[in-house]
Amino acid sequence: MFKLNLKIAWRNLWKNKGYTFINVLGLSIGMASCILIFIFIRYQMSFDEGFKNENRIFRVVTNWKYNSYEDFSAGVPIPFSAAARNEIAGFEKVGTILKRGGVISVKDAAGKEKLKSREAVYYTQPDFFDVFSDIKWIYSAPELALSKPNSAVLSEKYAIKFFGSVKSAIGKTITVGDKTNLLVAGIIEDQPQNSSFPLGVIISYETYAGRFNENWDSVNSSTSSYVLLKDGLTAKDVQASLTRFNQKYYPIQKITGNQTNKLQPLRDIHFSEKYDNFADSSINKSELYGLAVIGLFLIITACINFINLTTAQSVNRSKEVGVRKVMGSKRKQLVSQFLTETFAVSLVALLIACVITELAIPPMQNLFKGRIEFSLFAHPVIFIFMAILVAFVSFLAGFYPAIIISKFNPALAIKNKISLNNGGLSLRKILVVVQFSITVILIIGTLVIIRQMQYVQEKSLGFNPNAVAMVGIPTDSLSKIKYNTFKERILRIPGVKEMSFCQSAPLSSNINSSDFTYNGIKNEDFELRNMRADENFFKVFDLKLIAGKIFRKSDTANACVVNETFLKKMHILNPQDAIGKVIRASGNTVPISGVVKDFNDQSLKERISGLAIFPGNDQYWNVAIKMDAEKLVSSMKEIEAVWKESFPNGIFDSGFVNESINSYYESEQIMGTLFKVFAGVIIFISFIGLFGLISFVATQRTKEVAIRKVLGASTIELVKMLNGSFLIMVFIANLAAWPLAYLFVSKWLSGFVYRVDISVWPFALAMVISMAITLITVSIRSYKAAVANTINALKYE
Amino acid sequence: MIQLTNIEKYYANKGVKNYVLRLVTTTIKQGEFVSIMGPSGAGKSTLLNIIGMLEEPTYGTYEFLGEDVTSLNERKRIELYRNHIGFVFQAYHLIDEMTVYENIEAPLLYKKIGSSERASRIADLLDRFNIVAKKDLFPNQLSGGQQQLVGIARALAAQPSIILADEPTGNLQSAQAEEIMTLFKKLNQEDGITIIQVTHSEKNAQYGNRILHIADGVVKEDLAVLS
Repeated sequence: MFKLNLKIAWRNLWKNKGYTFINVLGLSIGMASCILIFIFIRYQMSFDEGFKNENRIFRVVTNWKYNSYEDFSAGVPIPFSAAARNEIAGFEKVGTILKRGGVISVKDAAGKEKLKSREAVYYTQPDFFDVFSDIKWIYSAPELALSKPNSAVLSEKYAIKFFGSVKSAIGKTITVGDKTNLLVAGIIEDQPQNSSFPLGVIISYETYAGRFNENWDSVNSSTSSYVLLKDGLTAKDVQASLTRFNQKYYPIQKITGNQTNKLQPLRDIHFSEKYDNFADSSINKSELYGLAVIGLFLIITACINFINLTTAQSVNRSKEVGVRKVMGSKRKQLVSQFLTETFAVSLVALLIACVITELAIPPMQNLFKGRIEFSLFAHPVIFIFMAILVAFVSFLAGFYPAIIISKFNPALAIKNKISLNNGGLSLRKILVVVQFSITVILIIGTLVIIRQMQYVQEKSLGFNPNAVAMVGIPTDSLSKIKYNTFKERILRIPGVKEMSFCQSAPLSSNINSSDFTYNGIKNEDFELRNMRADENFFKVFDLKLIAGKIFRKSDTANACVVNETFLKKMHILNPQDAIGKVIRASGNTVPISGVVKDFNDQSLKERISGLAIFPGNDQYWNVAIKMDAEKLVSSMKEIEAVWKESFPNGIFDSGFVNESINSYYESEQIMGTLFKVFAGVIIFISFIGLFGLISFVATQRTKEVAIRKVLGASTIELVKMLNGSFLIMVFIANLAAWPLAYLFVSKWLSGFVYRVDISVWPFALAMVISMAITLITVSIRSYKAAVANTINALKYE
Repeated sequence: MIQLTNIEKYYANKGVKNYVLRLVTTTIKQGEFVSIMGPSGAGKSTLLNIIGMLEEPTYGTYEFLGEDVTSLNERKRIELYRNHIGFVFQAYHLIDEMTVYENIEAPLLYKKIGSSERASRIADLLDRFNIVAKKDLFPNQLSGGQQQLVGIARALAAQPSIILADEPTGNLQSAQAEEIMTLFKKLNQEDGITIIQVTHSEKNAQYGNRILHIADGVVKEDLAVLS
């Protein structure tokens, strides 16, 4: 029976090639998008999976609660691990791991330097590998390789990069920084891409110079501690001892901000907004949900096409249904026959979808700048997903039409006297409205995202980042002596206008903040952002002063400049009042010499902080060089040459301020691209569905069109008549979509402190777009119907 | 009013020409009531379709009201439909989704006639054909004869000078058929409307005043009916 059903299904599909094509095309594009989204979401969800103790592994993080705000860090104080190991009974193992940057150089057999590169290095205790006991060691073991100072462990990839092969790396020496030589004492397997700690170069913790630090107040977010709870314990069970631990250590040193430590489950690390991670790859779960919803939208839209076309066509098959019923077919058998047909279509669509997915994967990898590698069949769960997808689509798309068709009264069906439009609101119309509401929501979403990204690009940040390059400079004492000559040589290069020693550009996520006293009174409400830069910083970035003046040229902090927001937060109304008042922050006690006009010191997602700019020769690690925009390339080349001559041991590393500002919006830009693509796909699916539907309506109304023609209707009048109901449906869909779209875009925009106002125009434009495309799609077909030969339709019944 | 000269129509199928009409030449004057008769497949309907400009002849010329309309652009043809020609079909061809009233109103809307004028004309027609009570019913709620009355009322609504009827009584019982034919005769005699009908029935043909006998695409006889 099934085989026969399949055969008949095939013939029917072949007979209605046009509609089948529309169905399969829509479904396969929808499915392909769903599969792509699924691969992406699965990849993100798979971060740090597969450790056998994953439910017992936690990262310790640090929280602060100030009067007016909270702060979070993924790190712990240096003494934490040792103390916790002794005092918290619930911890089976505690492993410290620090991420730092370092210049690694490798010498060949003759002692000549053959490779030098800047790498992330991880200072790690052997205990870390007891927490993550699944990480495989190709050579040696954690205890052996990492308990002594001056030993290092490489991942396979780095062993090959440095020494050509795993074997030849063992026992060799690498140098970190200028003089620390490390013996390669172990090799581990490469960490997968979906890991929050991409270990490459690991150095024994005993090598780390700062390991004896006893300061509980200082927390670096790259100093992490991972713990393994004892078997059978949960985070709740150790909470009591952790609270006791916090009470014991933090109040003693009178640490501000009510500092506490907290456990974060391993699998939450990748999705954490508050706490960063070593791989810099966290993603917000709500973005994943957003994508999943879009995937669902896509598949629903495609299914709606299917339902609409199938029910519309079912009239043509009423005779078959009638005859089958008369021959004794049960309704159940008919339903299964029609479901078989849908199943066949879904299966074909799935195959095509796989091909489309394969084709779409390279551009998608591109979107993520190649940092993520996807493949269709990387994980067996994709097959389960595909099976569910086909089952879901066959059922969703096939069930309703099957029920409708099998319900036909045989007597009427045989005479072809079935009419589907029994007045009122037909399901088909509702589905079209739903479909177009989804489409319109996506169009509006896309328009708003595009507009916000444009705003972000164009908004004046309060400083001028154009044609400014940030160039890293070495900070060792030998190099520091050369700073002045270096500056003189740079300024002599044609095309260079101005240069400033500083820490970072005015807009940077590299934040150094501290508590402070103003005019002798300790502030409890907010932390002051400390920026270090010399007096030329203001000229390089075109920062304007609204009161006072810039501090005098100095190697140490002699005065500072605060910003307007600082005054606002301190409730100082007249900028002049602040001049000369003394600020004490991060070891400096200096008067305020000037007030700078507010500029965005972080991405537009964040508010401007209260900040102070101090000079301080010993804390610069960058120079900002303002150039003539037209001579960028040649100037950069010369700057590099001068740099290399001045600092022969360093590694030249530069970037344009503009580009680094853009990088703060990378995830939004990816989101924007995804929206554009999926909105395009959904528009396409909706409109081929619409085309199918108008084709059917036009066929059904051929006779009416012919009658009206002999009554004197012109082509335009007929096209208008056929289009009317579709335009009304799309109009209603617009109205239905607006409130939903409003909720969505206002939620998305709330992620930006500085954002565009939601105006009526994206809504209006979405309406114009959807109506215009509807009009075009529908008119193509209805025009054809209106100019068709009258006489064929008016022949005898 | 209508001048057909050497009208030919054939369908080419794999190089073989299947003639439907051959060298038809005839003149139909204002006020005539012509019945086209002949066996099935003789070409009666094709001839009527050509007169109604629903089909174009392969060869020959056709003048309507002194104007060559052999191949007419759409705008002009619609103009003629709106003002001069009313069609009546064997299968009535009412629009199922519209009531009796709306069906009759349709051609007036296309003719862009004002609403009060429309209302009065429709009221007049409903009155004349005794279907006032049926005006809010849908076609499938009427008998065949009643549907054809509506069909004729619709054809007359635009006040055409000629009515083309393709077997108007073909689907009707004889009593109803008689009623329709009497109506045609009355329209022809009292209102001076030119009527051309295709019919199988000798009896129906007698209501008119001229009969064209067609066989194998050729006009065999052109008889006047003596009343």
